[in-house]
Amino acid sequence: MSDASASNPYSIYRVTWIILLIITVAMLGAEEFHLPRWFLVLFLLAFMAVKAAMIAGNFMHLRHEHRRMSIMVAGGIVVTSLVLLAFITPETRNVKSRTTAPPLPPPAAAHGHAQE
Amino acid sequence: MNDAHAAVAADWGGGVSPFGATWQKTMMWIFIITDALLFSGLLSGYGYLRMSGQQTWPSTPEVFSIPFIALMTFILITSSMWMGTAVTAARLGDARKTLNNLILTILGGASFLGCQAYEWTHLIREGARLTSNPWGAPQFGASFFVLTGFHGSHVFSGLVILIVTAIRTAMGKTPAQGVEMAGLYWHFVDLVWVFIFTLFYLLPN
Repeated sequence: MSDASASNPYSIYRVTWIILLIITVAMLGAEEFHLPRWFLVLFLLAFMAVKAAMIAGNFMHLRHEHRRMSIMVAGGIVVTSLVLLAFITPETRNVKSRTTAPPLPPPAAAHGHAQE
Repeated sequence: MNDAHAAVAADWGGGVSPFGATWQKTMMWIFIITDALLFSGLLSGYGYLRMSGQQTWPSTPEVFSIPFIALMTFILITSSMWMGTAVTAARLGDARKTLNNLILTILGGASFLGCQAYEWTHLIREGARLTSNPWGAPQFGASFFVLTGFHGSHVFSGLVILIVTAIRTAMGKTPAQGVEMAGLYWHFVDLVWVFIFTLFYLLPN
């Protein structure tokens, strides 16, 4: 690829573009195969990450930048995403369990029942 | 005092480049990171609303025309390819190729915005609002308008930057680094769309 990019410095953009389109079509077509939901979600998230890495690496030239720059950008975003996910996931489950729990009896009815 | 001054100057006086890039490029990357954090906050909020809601989240293939959204994705990815070509052409000193590809990128961005305007109009006519919609969980409307609205505003500001860059390139006033800065922003807009496209439009219930 280095020879190709040396002779044609624009080829990397075309190659990246074609790969991104192929991945996008694969993501769109994945639902047609009636895959298990967990697998489909994993498939979509994995290809989303690949597309993001290709855009950042090849279009934004991050892979040609200084290693510190790449670490600052990629590390910052990954750590922030993990922190947000860590806070949001348990709280979402908490909210879901509270909202799906059976409703408590009204206070008056509970009081009358106790007197009987 | 002189030693202290020399130490500060060595670290912060511009003589040292810890990221191996110019200060403009480093600042652009830092701006992109902060903007990415904004979108990660919005996407996390959307995830929270979607997962914690009591009502069923609408099935996106029933609400949207997914082939139309795929077309929007195609337009944005293609415009990113043109932008990358413009950046490399600017670095190689090919002003004509730079300008041509900048114009193509602008056309792509404008087409994307046109598609988004059509999509918004269509959904609003069908009854989608910030607080309600005819398809299910009321948070769906807020998530859609906020996420795509913020992204659309970034596309719009990117277009303005690209138009200014193209005009200045035509006048021979934009250095290669100026085109590169505009390109970084434009690719970031494409990058964010990758996440919105997957997490909002494609993720199944």
